Amino acid sequence: MFQPLSSAAIFSALAAAIALLALPLAGAGGYVLHVMILVMIFSVFAVAYNLVTGYLGLKTFGHHAFFGLGAYGSALISMHGGISPWLSIWLGAGVAAAFGIFVGLPVLRIKSMPHVAIVTLAFAEIVRIACSNLKGVTRGELGLWGIPTFGGFDLPGLGKVVFNAANKTGYYYLAAGLLALALVATAVILRSKVGLAIFAIRDGEDAAESLGVNLTRIKLFVFGYSAFVVGAAGGFYAHYVGILTPSAAIGADVMIMVIAMTLVGGLGSFTGPLIGALLLTSLGESLRFLDQYRLLVYGAMIVMCVMFAPRGLASLGELLRRPRKSTAA
Amino acid sequence: MPVSLYIEQIINGLIAGSMYALIGGGIALVYGVTRVLNMAHGEFYMLGGYGVFYLVVAHAVPPVAAIPLVALLLFALGVIVQRLTIHYLLPREGWAFACIAATLGLSIAFQNLALVTFGEDYKAVPYYVDGVLRLGDVRLPLQRALMLAVAVITLLAMAFILKKTRFGWALRAAAQDADAASVCGIPVGRVHMITFGLSAALGAIAAAMLAPIYSVSPWMGLPVLFKGFVVVILGGLGSFPGAIVGGFLLGIVEAIGVQLTSAEWRDAIGFAVMILVVWLRPWGLFGKPQ
Repeated sequence: MFQPLSSAAIFSALAAAIALLALPLAGAGGYVLHVMILVMIFSVFAVAYNLVTGYLGLKTFGHHAFFGLGAYGSALISMHGGISPWLSIWLGAGVAAAFGIFVGLPVLRIKSMPHVAIVTLAFAEIVRIACSNLKGVTRGELGLWGIPTFGGFDLPGLGKVVFNAANKTGYYYLAAGLLALALVATAVILRSKVGLAIFAIRDGEDAAESLGVNLTRIKLFVFGYSAFVVGAAGGFYAHYVGILTPSAAIGADVMIMVIAMTLVGGLGSFTGPLIGALLLTSLGESLRFLDQYRLLVYGAMIVMCVMFAPRGLASLGELLRRPRKSTAA
Repeated sequence: MPVSLYIEQIINGLIAGSMYALIGGGIALVYGVTRVLNMAHGEFYMLGGYGVFYLVVAHAVPPVAAIPLVALLLFALGVIVQRLTIHYLLPREGWAFACIAATLGLSIAFQNLALVTFGEDYKAVPYYVDGVLRLGDVRLPLQRALMLAVAVITLLAMAFILKKTRFGWALRAAAQDADAASVCGIPVGRVHMITFGLSAALGAIAAAMLAPIYSVSPWMGLPVLFKGFVVVILGGLGSFPGAIVGGFLLGIVEAIGVQLTSAEWRDAIGFAVMILVVWLRPWGLFGKPQ
């Protein structure tokens, strides 16, 4: 169940949030901010993936399609429609959600896990192949460039906020805002009636159905919402990095990284994906010098986590905390 | 377009399909017996390709000896991998996803281990046989005819093992009901191990036959894994005969689809057909509704 937050949890969440917000003020360099922006983008992705895979129990392997659809959707809409990225990332997310519901329709009626895994994987491959073949629209593997950045604005009291490669502070706070939005929206869903239905489905699909939970409707809603959030993360990514290639935005590597983050952090736990994203992204950056071993380490970590820490690092914390609680009681 | 070109395309589709049947058959075998979706199957295929390259090209072993040897090596690797990972995961709660995740991790690890060990360059393997078979206007390179022959012989041998040997009976019993089979004295754990090994060996044989056509690289496994998935879904997940029919079918569908569009859409066509089949007949073209 999604339990009420303990005061310790609220404290650590607040502390983490303050530390996150204070980082640019503490004089962190552009590189550190860049890594943290990537951490936050992938946190949003992992949180949305975890909602479907960890909480709802629907094991999908094709969420990178929605990341790519959001990224390409938002980039193309803002380039050809002359629409500001502030608006277009939501339109791109909408495109991702529409595709999510479209691919969800055939797959979510089926209870067989391998079918869901294979169909979502195949769908993502179709999106990737389409993006690399439709060269007239996406420029294929040459890369879509010239994606507009977010427009700057004047913030009373603080001066002008700009979004460019030289000054990453604006992007940093925007990514933090996006992450906060995704976390709050996900928490609201988990605490609503839909959330109760999600837990019921995870704990026993047939039992939930017999109690009047409309499986298809709940699954479609959660799947569509998750696709929307991942699409928004993709849109932000597109306008942040400024260049998109099918293999970087929709490659299987993207999905593998998010799966690794979620599994290492803890599938089906609220903080797990955040821990995983922070750990693996910063690990990935510090392993840059042995670039070709990076994915080898990811693969080995996935295997090790599945074998020896099936509930991820987030649950290791619980194991450590539990004895103290029992002595206090 | 002349008729002979169409016939040639269909024959090429059948030959590609025979390879898909070998790969899909391996995935279906493991799924049928243990209900495990092996995401690392493509990496057994890839390692089989490297095995053939090192034996045939680097050490000049004749292919007739090299291919069975590689199949044997991959059988052993499959058995070891199953014993060290899947074996411990199967009794757990949530084993289905744990197995998918673990084999996905293994796949990434093997792929990058190959990248580090063998390098990123594409290794070419020469044709095993030269020459062209002519039947009227239809031309067929002997290498491709050999692929079809090897695939058919391998699949027939597998069918014989499954139907006529004591191991085949044990395997089918374990597939039907693992608990009941072990009550009857069938060592289900050992059957699972051998099944995994056989599946890896099937992948290695496919790799050996395809290596001269496509070269060997660390990334060769992933597209083949995806093909195998399409095949097993088409044929009904877990059905070995279904996978064989699904394999040939996918080969022909792709050949016709490529004629109608272009080669770069080949993979997308297969995936789209699969999603359509899942929509209309989730239990596969030849399976039974559950």
